[in-house]
Amino acid sequence: MTTVAIDRPAPQFTTIAPDNWKLAIAVGLAVSILAILALPANAAFWVTGAMAAMVAAAFVVNAYRRHYYGGLLVSPAIAVLFVMNIFPLLWSLGLSFFAYQSNQQTIRFVGLRNYEQLLTNDLKAPELWANLTNTAMFVVLTVSAQMIAGFLLAVLFAKQFPLRKYLLILVLTPMMLSVVAVGVFFSYYYDPTFGLLSQAIKAWNGEQFILMSTKAGAVAGIVFADAWMWSPFVMLLVLAGLVSVPKYLYEAAAIDRVSSWRRFWTITFPYIRGLLMLALLFRTIEAFKLADLVILLTKGGNDTMTISYHVIRIANEQNKTSEGAALSYLLLFVVIVLTNLYLYIANRRAQGN
Amino acid sequence: MADATSIWERLGFRKASGVGEAGWGHTLLTAIISLIYFLPVLLIIITSFKLQTEALAVPPRFFPTSFFGLIPEQWVFTPTLENFTSVFSRAYTTGGAVESTGFDRFFFNSIFIAGTSVLLALVIGTLAAYGFSRYALKGNDTYLFIILTTRMLPAIVVIIPIILMFRVTGLAGSYIGIILLYTAFNLPFTIWMMKSFFDELSPDVEDAARIDGSSEVKVFFKICLPQVLAGLAATFVFGLILTWNEFLFALLLTGVDTRTVPVAMNQAVAGGGIGVLWGLLAAIETLFLIPVFLVTFFLQNHLLRGVTFGTVKR
Amino acid sequence: MSTIEARKITKRFGDFTAVKDADLSVAAGEVVCLLGPSGCGKTTTLRMIAGLERVTAGDIIIAGKRMNELPPEKRDIAMVFQFYALYPALSVGENIAMPLHYEKLAKPDRDRRVKKVAEILHLTDVLDRMPGQVSEGEKQRIAVARAIVRDPNCFLFDEPLSRLDVELRHSMRGQIKEVLSGLSKATVIVTHDQLEALTMADRIAIMRDGVIEQIGTPHQVFTKPNNVFVASFIGTPQMNLVKGRLEGVAGAKATIQFGGERVELEVNPAVSKLKPSQVTLGIRPRAFTPIGQGARDTIIAHAELIEPMGAETLVHARTPDNSDIRVVVPRDVKFKIGEKLHLRADPSQTHIFGEDGKAVRG
Repeated sequence: MTTVAIDRPAPQFTTIAPDNWKLAIAVGLAVSILAILALPANAAFWVTGAMAAMVAAAFVVNAYRRHYYGGLLVSPAIAVLFVMNIFPLLWSLGLSFFAYQSNQQTIRFVGLRNYEQLLTNDLKAPELWANLTNTAMFVVLTVSAQMIAGFLLAVLFAKQFPLRKYLLILVLTPMMLSVVAVGVFFSYYYDPTFGLLSQAIKAWNGEQFILMSTKAGAVAGIVFADAWMWSPFVMLLVLAGLVSVPKYLYEAAAIDRVSSWRRFWTITFPYIRGLLMLALLFRTIEAFKLADLVILLTKGGNDTMTISYHVIRIANEQNKTSEGAALSYLLLFVVIVLTNLYLYIANRRAQGN
Repeated sequence: MADATSIWERLGFRKASGVGEAGWGHTLLTAIISLIYFLPVLLIIITSFKLQTEALAVPPRFFPTSFFGLIPEQWVFTPTLENFTSVFSRAYTTGGAVESTGFDRFFFNSIFIAGTSVLLALVIGTLAAYGFSRYALKGNDTYLFIILTTRMLPAIVVIIPIILMFRVTGLAGSYIGIILLYTAFNLPFTIWMMKSFFDELSPDVEDAARIDGSSEVKVFFKICLPQVLAGLAATFVFGLILTWNEFLFALLLTGVDTRTVPVAMNQAVAGGGIGVLWGLLAAIETLFLIPVFLVTFFLQNHLLRGVTFGTVKR
Repeated sequence: MSTIEARKITKRFGDFTAVKDADLSVAAGEVVCLLGPSGCGKTTTLRMIAGLERVTAGDIIIAGKRMNELPPEKRDIAMVFQFYALYPALSVGENIAMPLHYEKLAKPDRDRRVKKVAEILHLTDVLDRMPGQVSEGEKQRIAVARAIVRDPNCFLFDEPLSRLDVELRHSMRGQIKEVLSGLSKATVIVTHDQLEALTMADRIAIMRDGVIEQIGTPHQVFTKPNNVFVASFIGTPQMNLVKGRLEGVAGAKATIQFGGERVELEVNPAVSKLKPSQVTLGIRPRAFTPIGQGARDTIIAHAELIEPMGAETLVHARTPDNSDIRVVVPRDVKFKIGEKLHLRADPSQTHIFGEDGKAVRG
């Protein structure tokens, strides 16, 4: 439904009026760039912020005057997102072109040097590559485990049965735990002396089991904990899809004597396909963030360091803030490429139908 | 004639009454699997009732009572509520004065911060969703795409500039800062879900009201909003679950006064304030779990319906 | 043998009885319509025959075998759903072919059968489209195609035409009837539209509140309704049902008093067995002949509203005691509003219903 009533014509570019947002953008950009180049960091920040606020105000007045009710409704959300997401992103992008260390106050403009160093030196560093492969490995393993476990759980809960409500909340609980608790307690479960895992195995073959001693074991431990925590999320999404299949389709399938396998693929799967992809996307993105569990369980030892952890360490602990920003941007680039790939595939599917 | 019930029905896996229902056999299977899934959580809860000395016992002590001698002494522990009271005030050194641990403040912070940001996201997001749904803006799809992708950005990309921004503006360690940030985290999902809900509403009732002379505002509050209550509930629960447990940003951006429970827990474990007092930690986590658990339980039906509407395009 | 027999089937949902002691038998090649208002239990009955609902009591016997415990998969029946239930992710052709997978045919055989059925129902052009891309009428035909592509024990239709517009309904009625007549299987059609029932069925079972009120051929239920409900349900415009008091029967004529008038009507001989009591007089609108002046057997009414219906005219009239009488007259008979009418009823189309609502007939 389009409700756009234009009462007044848009102002000319050069008119100085509160609703001339085009002019506001132009002026804002100009002033901001000048400020960044000329003023110290703090002042530049405030000036840029003020310019952004001015542009926003122009938009709002424009929307109000032209009865863009939609625009008005949407503006608070856009504002918050802009301030908290877009603005830091742009800032970070800008930052990657400088040499800035958070414990110093100076900024020097260095252009592409950070990226250069990243691509030539750091990329050669085996540590970086090890981190990347670790991350990739983690992502693949934990996302697969989550998808499978979540899917199976959803199938289990798709029907109506006695006590369903109570059992469902039990299965949703892992998602509600704090990462810290999961990390600490799973490290307890994995402990060679006191841990339950080791004790169970000890009862079996008489020896202590040290899960964290091998890389495979450590990875398995982290993946298991992470998958356990997040498979309820996948379950919820898939369950929503399963539940949304209209009952009469299954009745028609019964009458048509459709086999279970075929029934799943031709009737059920189309309803959950979109949700499965969504779960896949969300969990993959989140899995890339995987740092907290690693920190808690292994502190990166045994070659389990992930890229997220690496970045955080660089930025926070080693104070190489700009390099951290550059690295982040490289990763962002990868993420954007992957996301676009996903959307492209999703769109093509939708059009094909 | 012998009753030709299928074996699945007799075992309770399928109910005779129709497609999509199951009986007690299915319940049993699901119960077993659910309990296995719940086991680590159950262990945490049990540990919160144990004394420190018994927490790490070998073999592990699962049972609070020996059920009249049915269970060997080794597996039994004596339950205590000491951990729970210790959460909020304990003696830091034996024989020393009992001090407040500050956890009451941390719990309050968690509730306040998570609750406010989710509610704020709900309000702002619902308005925005209504705008996107009812008013076709130029570049509608672009905006939506941008909004959705902001959610997809991995934290690592925004973390550094946000830290900087917070320090520069003095928001670090304040309530406003972290609340705004969490609101921004919850907005994409809220907008997306609520928009799907608004899209599903039939415009007939609204048009009738408009013709009767209701203002747009009234139409929104009296007609549209009541119909999407399920979506509001679902979005609220989802947002709450995700925000309640957020660790990374809370770690980096909250100060001494605004610290949330997850961060405090981590600090206690890593910084040496508690060492590893398992019972105490378990008690904290158990208490921390309760609010989210209750909210999810009561809004369960809405949650499922909400996710369905928000994501399935029919 | 393709037959259906429902013996005293009952369905209870908790305290609520949806169907009570329904008895129905359908012979091979016969089309029986379950007709009735919403909530009368006709769809529940159909679903019990299909196996989508379990009977609480009674027996379902299809092709001579008792099917109570069998799920729909094992009953070898075909059903057309009210909402078509087309599989959204499959093409039209694949939808129609779905039931054939069970028979483990080779693909060429499957395709052949699908093509044949598509030709019968004029669907050859849309075989490659998706269900979301075809019109409502086409969807309906696809659902029917999916049912007739097999060789089942019987056919079940749940309100097949309710979602179509009037024109489509007209043509589809004919098409379905034609298709069914070629297949000689027992068929049950559920509908709330009496016109559908009257045109498509060999026999009609009229249901109300879970009970079958009458089963008979369209002619039977029209000319000899068992009770007031059936009489008022069948026939457009609705039969006139006027409450009156039977004073006595002399010879073949009964004296009935209503609204201060006394009328002597020729009625069914069985009426003479009735004692003086309250009765309901049932006369179809087309059974009246307006005559010039009053007589002992005419009913007096004043014309209130005149509706030209093309070849006929529907006159709404009112008796002195405020009963509504509907009269249908040929086009060339003209009345003025307020005109006093003397209506003589055709005795063979005059029904007397007793106090209990049941028809009094020999």
